[in-house]
Amino acid sequence: MLLRASGQRENRDFNLNAVNDADSDPGVDHADHLRRLTEAAIGSRWGELVTVRGEAAAAMGEQAMVDALTVAAGFNGITRVADATGIPLDPTTQKVTGSMRAETGIDAFDYVAKSARYDRQRRARATTDNNA
Amino acid sequence: MYEDTRYPVSPDVIARHAEAWRLIGAPGAFWSGAERVQMVAEARAATACELCARRLAALSPFAVDGEHDTVSDLPPMLIDMIHRLRTDPGRYTRAVFDGVLAGGISRERYIEAVSVVNAAVIVDTMHAALGLTLPDLPTPEPGPAAGQSDPDVVDDGAWVPLTRVDDRTATVTGLPGAPNIARSMGSVPSAVALFFTAFRGHYALRDIPLGVSQPQAEFIASRVSALNQCFY
Repeated sequence: MLLRASGQRENRDFNLNAVNDADSDPGVDHADHLRRLTEAAIGSRWGELVTVRGEAAAAMGEQAMVDALTVAAGFNGITRVADATGIPLDPTTQKVTGSMRAETGIDAFDYVAKSARYDRQRRARATTDNNA
Repeated sequence: MYEDTRYPVSPDVIARHAEAWRLIGAPGAFWSGAERVQMVAEARAATACELCARRLAALSPFAVDGEHDTVSDLPPMLIDMIHRLRTDPGRYTRAVFDGVLAGGISRERYIEAVSVVNAAVIVDTMHAALGLTLPDLPTPEPGPAAGQSDPDVVDDGAWVPLTRVDDRTATVTGLPGAPNIARSMGSVPSAVALFFTAFRGHYALRDIPLGVSQPQAEFIASRVSALNQCFY
């Protein structure tokens, strides 16, 4: 929602599908470098990140490269706070992002649905173990 | 922190990380400083834990049993929770939360652990992403958990009570003045303070004070959320 909102503020239309689709271009500057920095950092691919940092710094400037990783590091923590507390979407987000969440596949991450999916597997396994 | 980097890390980020490290080492409301430092050590151990690696590779996060590669004497349910949260946040479920509580750990102690672990995730990710050695563990301060007075919280659809707010009107950012993420650890105000000490400086909802534009920051944030399968 915030990516879309920042596009509206700048009179630009960003491609939200790029959030979950590596082949889509979101329309933000240096998107490919931002994506590679983010994916290497969040995936703990530290060796690969050496090269990615260098290429990103050459294209975007060193400050932008560092600050892209700064944003990624912050969200590596805050997403886990949300994951660990099962918070619902804020009311406005819930209301205005329905189609966007469906289109981008974000609905699959819903905490109720995710817990139901994996916890059902857990219960089934426990039943199997008890019957063995 | 960050003394040995040539990269231009934001001075605000550096100062906040140092303060977060100091806060982790101090007694919290429900855990001692030594216990909080053990949580950071456990989160680091999780990244090299063989059981966590096998679970991550499995179709279900509950398909593989075994013993964690552990470095602390924290309660077993808490160790399992820390390892799962550090290594597989996208498949962290309500059952894990319920299991911690069933193991005798209060909601408040759970929330404080969530704050400590994730503040450390931010600091460690930033160091590793820049190719830096992780900082030494925080120095634990002596003394027991400090306790707290009752916070003003309300059940509002999350696994945990949220900070009570009356005005949910959307601001110019499209989010309420107090979005749910800011309310999520409201049962332990010192946990909120610790986590956001580490987090602020990494992002702002508008006019971000960094060398990336707001849309670039939102794209990165969205991509991290997708990688960590974060619904919020």
